[in-house]
Amino acid sequence: MPELIAPLAGNVWKVLVAVGDKVELDDEVIILEALKMETPIYCDDAGTITELKVTEGDAVEEGAVLAVIG
Amino acid sequence: METDWPKVLEVFGSGIIGVFLVMILLQLLTQLSTRVIDIIENRNKGEDAEPGA
Amino acid sequence: MFNILKELIYSSGVVSLTGGNLVMWLVAFVLLYLAIKKQYEPLLLLPIAFGILVVNLPLTFLMEPEHGLIWFFYHYGIEQDIIPPLIFLGLGAMIDFGPLIANPKTLLLGAGAQAGLYVTFFAAILFGFDLQEAGSIAIIGGADGPTTIYLTSKLAPHLLGATAVSAYAYMALVPIIQPPMMKLLTTDRERKIVMTKLRPVSKLQKICFPIVTGMTIMLVVPPAAPLISMLMLGNLFKESGVVERLTNAASNELMNIVTIFLGLSIGATMTATTFLNPKVLFIFFLGLFAFVISTAAGLLMAKFMNLFLKDKDKINPLIGAAGVSAVPMAARCVHKVGSEANRRNYLLMYAMGPNVAGVIGTVVAAAILLKNLG
Repeated sequence: MPELIAPLAGNVWKVLVAVGDKVELDDEVIILEALKMETPIYCDDAGTITELKVTEGDAVEEGAVLAVIG
Repeated sequence: METDWPKVLEVFGSGIIGVFLVMILLQLLTQLSTRVIDIIENRNKGEDAEPGA
Repeated sequence: MFNILKELIYSSGVVSLTGGNLVMWLVAFVLLYLAIKKQYEPLLLLPIAFGILVVNLPLTFLMEPEHGLIWFFYHYGIEQDIIPPLIFLGLGAMIDFGPLIANPKTLLLGAGAQAGLYVTFFAAILFGFDLQEAGSIAIIGGADGPTTIYLTSKLAPHLLGATAVSAYAYMALVPIIQPPMMKLLTTDRERKIVMTKLRPVSKLQKICFPIVTGMTIMLVVPPAAPLISMLMLGNLFKESGVVERLTNAASNELMNIVTIFLGLSIGATMTATTFLNPKVLFIFFLGLFAFVISTAAGLLMAKFMNLFLKDKDKINPLIGAAGVSAVPMAARCVHKVGSEANRRNYLLMYAMGPNVAGVIGTVVAAAILLKNLG
């Protein structure tokens, strides 16, 4: 199952989707905040969000799984 | 006031070369210490693992 | 009755006001506007602007040597070089050398951007500045406020206000100044380069870095010691993880305290007589020139390095622009321009490497200038 990986370390600023939402390729899924800068994370695959591993305010490391797309 | 051109060139040249030399030196030292620390940490990891094995 | 009133008027500052004072008020108000309304580096611009305002009120003698309140701040803080190293202590406690340790090549990018500084040195000489003044102006290109202040206070104290304000002003303007240069000197394909993942950096490596680097720099260029020693001490506080209270004190309370004295003192050096001088305009112009050339030099250095790197190790030349030490503004700017070219390109952490290398590079460049010109 494709996973959405954090490309850089930061804090989860906004989660723009909920479990069950359908997402297309290149949709904005999550916005991370690092060094006072908002970085949108785009979806690599089309599908349905089956699991969200983070909530707003979480600190994530580079390479952490943010969401699972089914 | 007359500009002291030889001095200008000296400052210019020694400055550029100096900064590069120092930074290259730092690069080499960083790479070296990274390698040394990698070796030490790998060996420690090996030792830690042995008693359990 | 009339006489008392007359005396009051004559002893007031009003009659001593000059046209220059009024112009400086205007400068102060513009800076206050930029700080409060536009939030350009407000932590510094606000006290600087207020310093300008009060020092241009006649007969207050705030900058009177041996008497004035702000003169004491200036004398002990800046002339005696206490504040810039303390700012560096706080900076060290805040910055993460991790991306630099993971990718030591980027140290060269920090050096590349400094080449621009020496080009400016040359240009300033052509504009008729003397050697010491030219050195102080060139360092603006390093985009490092404390280093600029440190060097100028040693080489050309009469230019302090102008070089400090232009350094901080251009740092705030990084998002406007750098992108055109970045787009001019890189191709779309280069901007799209996605870099290989950074290797993880262990705690021990992070602890060793400030010690090894600090010792090396101080041994090779001793005049860098005041700034580098404090920078590395602050970083060691942070990375050691055992003195959290000191880390916080250095990066929060102490930093904030000295920032007040720094801003106020810098502002107070800007009296009408020293500041309203055609030279100051040239300084602002040359400062901008320095900044642009340093950005270009960093970008070109990155492209040059790519000539020698294998395909998989190629760096995105944009990160060269982060070799100027405006932390983290320059890195943010790189990230933004990179993501415009390829929105899956997250350059922020890669750009932090050259960015912190730029801090080190600027200090080294300043120390070499100081050794040659001081």
